[in-house]
Amino acid sequence: MRLRAQLFPALSLFCLCTPTLLKAQFQEPTKEELQMTEDPKAPGAAAVFLNIQEATDDPLHFHRFYARVKVLQEKGKDLATVEIPYERGNIKVTDIHGRTIHPDGTVIPLEGKPEDLLSSKTTDKQFGRKVFTLPSVEVGSIFEYEYQERYDDNHYSSPLWEIQREYFVHKAHYAFTPFKAFLKGLQGGTNQILVDSKGNAVNALIWTNILPPDVHVVIDPVGRFTVDISDVPAIPREEWMPPLRSVLYNVLFYYKSSVDMTDFWVSEAKRWSKEVDHFAEPTKEIREAVAGIVAPGDADLDKARKLYKAVQALDNTDFSRKREHAELKQLGLREAKRAGDTWNQKSGSSQDIALLYLAMLRVAGLTAYDMKVVNRDNGVFSPGYLNFEQLDDDVVILSTGGKEIFLDPGEKMCPFQTLDWRHAGAVGIRQSAEGRAIQSTPNVAYASNSLSRMGYLKLDAQGAVSGSLHFAMTGQEALRWRQMGLRNDDDEVKKSFDRWLQGILPEGVEGHLDHFIGMEDSNTNLMAVCKVAGELGTATAKRLLIPGFFFQTRQREPFVEEAKRLTPVDMRFGEKVSDEITYEIPATLQVEGKPQDTKIPWEGKAVYLTKSSVEQNRVTIADEMVRAFAVLKPEEYGDLRSFYQKIAAADQQQLVFTTASVAVKGN
Amino acid sequence: MRRAGALVVVLGFGVVAVAAFARDKSQPAPQWAVDAAKTSTPESAKDAPAVILFDEYLITVDEQNHAVEREREAIRILKPQGRPYSHCSIDYDVDEKLNYFRSWTFAADGRPMQAMESDFEDHGAYEAPVLQFTERIRTVNPPGSDPGSVVVCETEEQLRPYMSEEEWSIQLSIPVVFEALELALPPGGHYADSWAHFAAVKPEELAGNHLRWELKDVPALDLENVHATPAWRALAARMSVKWGDSAVKGSDNQWRALGLWQAKLEEHRTDATPEIAAKAKELTADAPDVYTKLSRITEYIQKNIRYFIVAKGIGGWQAHSAEEIFRNRYGDCKDKTTLLISMLQSIGIRAVYLHVDSRRGVIDPNAPSLVGNHMITAIELPEGASDARLMARAKTSSGKDLLIFDPTDEETPVGLIRQELQGAWGNLSDGDGSQVLEMPVLKPESAGLVREGAFDLRVDGGLAGDLHETFVGDDATDERWFLKDSDAKEVREALEKRLAADLPGVVFKDYAFKGTPDLDQPLKLDLHVDAAMYAHPSGSLLLLRPRILGSHAHAAPDVMEGKPRTYPIEIGHPGRWRDSFDVTLPAGYAVDELPEPVNVDMDFASYHASATAKGNMLHYEREYVVRAVEIPATRGADYRKLEGAIVMDERGTAVLKKQ
Repeated sequence: MRLRAQLFPALSLFCLCTPTLLKAQFQEPTKEELQMTEDPKAPGAAAVFLNIQEATDDPLHFHRFYARVKVLQEKGKDLATVEIPYERGNIKVTDIHGRTIHPDGTVIPLEGKPEDLLSSKTTDKQFGRKVFTLPSVEVGSIFEYEYQERYDDNHYSSPLWEIQREYFVHKAHYAFTPFKAFLKGLQGGTNQILVDSKGNAVNALIWTNILPPDVHVVIDPVGRFTVDISDVPAIPREEWMPPLRSVLYNVLFYYKSSVDMTDFWVSEAKRWSKEVDHFAEPTKEIREAVAGIVAPGDADLDKARKLYKAVQALDNTDFSRKREHAELKQLGLREAKRAGDTWNQKSGSSQDIALLYLAMLRVAGLTAYDMKVVNRDNGVFSPGYLNFEQLDDDVVILSTGGKEIFLDPGEKMCPFQTLDWRHAGAVGIRQSAEGRAIQSTPNVAYASNSLSRMGYLKLDAQGAVSGSLHFAMTGQEALRWRQMGLRNDDDEVKKSFDRWLQGILPEGVEGHLDHFIGMEDSNTNLMAVCKVAGELGTATAKRLLIPGFFFQTRQREPFVEEAKRLTPVDMRFGEKVSDEITYEIPATLQVEGKPQDTKIPWEGKAVYLTKSSVEQNRVTIADEMVRAFAVLKPEEYGDLRSFYQKIAAADQQQLVFTTASVAVKGN
Repeated sequence: MRRAGALVVVLGFGVVAVAAFARDKSQPAPQWAVDAAKTSTPESAKDAPAVILFDEYLITVDEQNHAVEREREAIRILKPQGRPYSHCSIDYDVDEKLNYFRSWTFAADGRPMQAMESDFEDHGAYEAPVLQFTERIRTVNPPGSDPGSVVVCETEEQLRPYMSEEEWSIQLSIPVVFEALELALPPGGHYADSWAHFAAVKPEELAGNHLRWELKDVPALDLENVHATPAWRALAARMSVKWGDSAVKGSDNQWRALGLWQAKLEEHRTDATPEIAAKAKELTADAPDVYTKLSRITEYIQKNIRYFIVAKGIGGWQAHSAEEIFRNRYGDCKDKTTLLISMLQSIGIRAVYLHVDSRRGVIDPNAPSLVGNHMITAIELPEGASDARLMARAKTSSGKDLLIFDPTDEETPVGLIRQELQGAWGNLSDGDGSQVLEMPVLKPESAGLVREGAFDLRVDGGLAGDLHETFVGDDATDERWFLKDSDAKEVREALEKRLAADLPGVVFKDYAFKGTPDLDQPLKLDLHVDAAMYAHPSGSLLLLRPRILGSHAHAAPDVMEGKPRTYPIEIGHPGRWRDSFDVTLPAGYAVDELPEPVNVDMDFASYHASATAKGNMLHYEREYVVRAVEIPATRGADYRKLEGAIVMDERGTAVLKKQ
């Protein structure tokens, strides 16, 4: 439940009561419900919700929740423990009732007082949770419970109906009676008005929803809202899902102040753009700084690059440590109000640094814009949700030479002209010469995210290998390690790299990072030089066999079979991974068989290639995987799985050597 | 100071209580803090993320044995990832009072700053929806906590009035330069101390009944790159100090005092109501023997008493009454044990509480204390109870024959205990017979898996056939817990991942688990698998791994690399695992070469594997037997020999040649 800002001090308060709603309203189970052992609508489910009811009555300042659950398997008993989170001080959780009904019809009421536990408490906020568990719940039981959340007369609230739940829902009913001023024919019934936290009068009620095509929000003649829905599938649990909140069924209501719904984004974007321009307004300090960094004769791109390097060098508190208000006060510092503050303090958040960069570009005479995007790790932009706060992060657009270049100065160690994947293919609001607009940032080209693994290994006649590996990384993979280096010292990064390395090396082979090259310079390739050694091969009386593909021997099935994929597949960014391992072999070994040269294409999406060659005392095996996509539609899941299964099977091939002198291993 | 954990946790528990209360007006740092911050970082700590420069406890006990504890601590942050170590915290519950919590930071340049009220936050302790606490944790987010800075914290707390023991965590995950514990007892008061994984240190008597223990340069216990070790808590040095009635001399007497304390706490909790007695009698009415009686009552509790607890103050130690538990049909480990004792005594079988820790080795028989996180049951077996299924038996020092049983473990039948408890110690609460008790390491027959398969290999390398798996003991328990905690989709996905790890691209069907509800019966899984390209052509050869699926290799890279080792090597649990696979070869192919047989026999484990060919049939079989739960570090070479042989066998390839 979301509590909103206060009501304007009331001249007269309503004193209505709702006697029928205050009593427990339990349902008698049907014989079929009691005897149900499996639900054909939810095969294999551990429990199902038979009923869900949620009602919010804003004029009467309460919210009621009711659930009725059938337990079908042991795991379903977990639902019998209920936690109700709430904000202490503003909300009271009351009227908790519940009961359990056994398959034989025995009824066991919920008795005792629910526990009221602290979740978190700071100087200005306190959150708690009421906890209770239904008694005597067993497989086959039906249990039901209800509770109310009450908030005081000086607050108003609007609901978020999260319609999809952990388990299948047979029937759900949602109802919302908005504040009186929004009810037709009753506006005169109150002389209260709503104000938001900034003191603005609230005069609009808006809702946004993700619902199945045949389900709608219904508004009655008075202005009350309901949704009735049946057979709601459980929350999908699939691998490589996009942010969950972007795909689940829900209805969100919210009150807004002075909003013309038709041009919300126009007016909000205008307000935001004005704030950005104000923050980024050139100050004397910025002018002096820019003058010291760029030369008048520099090309536009050189200026932009130099300034980018300068702001990237600042302390980005999102990667070090945020200084809280009390600390800033003790240090005589302040939270940045203008870009100049960030420059003076040589420190700021990602947003502060992005806007400082914007300011510096403009001072340098370049045309640049801010763009506010939804972080793809958090969510997906929803234009129907009229809330600017859904936008998370700032990127900067440089317009030069008739082209636009997207830059990510707030993402420390992100190379010039590269976006972090969370900001690539992300939708948001941007500034431009023509005004403000909703737009998507460009996707990152797969070729710019590359991982090249090259190795030169000596193989002995018993199957032991030793040598070195060189990893060259660009784009997202390099950024990952460099950002880890910001939060950890070299030793810790090395340990993390070793753990990652061990996960991709064949069984029996140990590897350790020797050193990185280019860790500090985000505009170069990041190189990792590693040493490896161990037992790679297995010997028979006449032969020595080693895995055909050095890095693939621990590959697991990445995509399980899904009867029907429900959500898109989000693999974050496209990439190219190429391997080339050369084995130096002793003269006693002769190549008898090697992995077949293979091409596994997935038209327009990806391709996997392998190639092996033998020359004198060397065998070289190379493979390359190009994945050009980041996100796929649900219906493409089958092809994706099939593609990876073919790769996994091909990766099992072996390199076979014959020798008469191979020592027998084992006991 | 680490508090002895409440008995509500099945798996890991322990909230590190460190320091602190807040201020809204700046105060200068006290002199002790200024002095502590000047301590230089020893060379031995340079690689650590942070170092504790100073950590001092003062426990003041009054005439009623009520104690107040003050802690002063100074931590230097050495690396960026060391920042979290400076976030001092303290836990407090409904029957404790936090008197104050203060914190200051000396930045790397020496500038002092004080944590203000807004820098503190309280959180409710939380484990899971079914395991909740009234306990709270107050944490400071100190200003200026950057590498090079020193954060100092000071707290004072009135301890729980019913407790008379504190645990001093001597060894931490970062080094400690100096630490001390002071105990100020009332006139006539006495104390007892016990040390785990650390040589006992004698206290200095500062004044009458005012004692001080001091330690310097205690290294961190870092197990990050040490594999297959006992739990961290089973290795870390600690000291337990007791006062009041628990402070008796001698290890056996201390264990007895702790057992008596527990017994007093649970007095009358196990009293059976007529309803409880009637249920126990109804369940065992026609039971022909002791095993049947026990299994019916234990299964009743396993199946009908759900795990749920909100631990409130003393409720972390004291069970609800059997009556309440029986009525509500839920409770925690203490509650389940309480009801079990109650029901058993209703049919004339005596049982008592056994306080244990779910991490083997944490309870140290030489260091009596209340350390532990779980309560289970010790059942006195009647004379002549010789049923072979009652394997988890232990004898007390007076010769009592006890059956150890964990009623919280809903998937382990009576007669067995989980691997975590095997070879571990517990504190038996049995009146004057209270003592520390070692739980048994079971025989290999107690657990394992038999896997049988018959497959056809196709010319294209595809492999298809039927697979049968039979799980017993701990292996069956693992599967049963998984099935219980998963829905059909999760079961299918997990099965697919397990199979695909060995059979890429596997398709399987007709899978069925049998025997799930009968805990004392094996659990069986039957299915049909089909893996395209299981065998791989290489010229005129077809290469096939006869092991088909399953692995017994344990990843302990440090041992395999032969690195020096101090800690015991955990090797799993006793059991016997057998595989037997038949592969019919495609027409036109014959076996050209097979992997060599493997035979390794150790006292703690053995591994035998062989592949044979007869006509167009390839047969592979192996048996892996484990007879211990851990081996000493000195046996690293034997471990390498065993694991090396397993890895080589599992990689072994049969070479088929086209005729």
